Amino acid sequence: MTKRPQLIIPAVILGVVFLVIAIVYWTTDAGSLPSFFPGHESGSTHIHFKHGLAAAVVAGACFVFAWFQTGEDRPTPTASPD
Amino acid sequence: MDPISYFQAIVLGLLQGFSELFPISSLGHSVVLPRIFGWDIHQDDDYFLSFLVATHVATAIVLLLFFLKDWIQIVKGLGRSLRDRYIAPDDTYAKLGWLLVMGTIPAGLLGLLLEHPLRSLFASTQTAAIFLFVNGLMLFGAEALRRRAPVRSEQGIRSDEVIARSLSFRNAIGIGTAQALALIPGLSRSGASMGGGLLSGLSNEEAARFAFLLATPIIGAAGVLKLPELLGSQGDHVRGQALVGALCAAVTAYFSVKFLLRFFETNRLTPFAVYCCVVGAALSIGFALS
Repeated sequence: MTKRPQLIIPAVILGVVFLVIAIVYWTTDAGSLPSFFPGHESGSTHIHFKHGLAAAVVAGACFVFAWFQTGEDRPTPTASPD
Repeated sequence: MDPISYFQAIVLGLLQGFSELFPISSLGHSVVLPRIFGWDIHQDDDYFLSFLVATHVATAIVLLLFFLKDWIQIVKGLGRSLRDRYIAPDDTYAKLGWLLVMGTIPAGLLGLLLEHPLRSLFASTQTAAIFLFVNGLMLFGAEALRRRAPVRSEQGIRSDEVIARSLSFRNAIGIGTAQALALIPGLSRSGASMGGGLLSGLSNEEAARFAFLLATPIIGAAGVLKLPELLGSQGDHVRGQALVGALCAAVTAYFSVKFLLRFFETNRLTPFAVYCCVVGAALSIGFALS
């Protein structure tokens, strides 16, 4: 797999953003969520645990992607001609 | 009076265990069957959802134990690749592990975000019957649209190796996304993932194997996430029935996975496609007339 080190910082930033979103979902009830967040419902005291979990999964995926990009680039072995 | 009798729990448990793994939609059957038998059980009832949690957890445990050796190798492979920050081309289980991760993420995300709205939208038995028919067409389509000749297991090469060699990460994401179709009652998760495997060039046997491996974390996570409902007040009066249903589901899930892996060595999805089309069409007409 070709490494793309230039994507490490964007992936980490995106991961942090999604982690923050996850924490917001877990700690804020639906009525107090920013209005542009999916799941915002005026007056609702429901906590969107699953929305937070989804955001945390995306954050984890971003961090794992960034981690793999920090490894050394190894050429893909090609079949020998014999 | 208990909302589900022990007899109903046994029937629904047995049904759930095998229909979860057969490509015929367990959710569709669990919606349709109570109406056929005239049972006052609806898929949106809290106690019924709690009951289903137990059967899902049981099915996931059976799948995990059935493929335990593979899962141990997969976890080790994931660990190796994370340590090396590299997926070695000859590391079958590292590649297979990341294929499963890639396939699970879209299905998990869509499940977390869309499960409730889709279930509510397509809750009627009539809709489930129509989608059962559509599921049959989907299975026919997957068999007909194989893009290339299926990759057969070569002598001495393990199925896991064939899967890891044949599938790309893009294929895995596509198959994982297709699994989310199962959120609609009547469409089958295993049918969608087996169909996706076939379209990606796997044989029926390997497509089924990959579908079962892919099913384990999704079914398990769905069950574990809802376990508090079974243990909380929603589970009152159904815990005993849920335990019985889970045991029945475990038995049929075990025999189903054993049967299907052998069945797909020489057979195709076509019989299940015929079943879904015939039953789906018959039920759609029957419900419309009744």
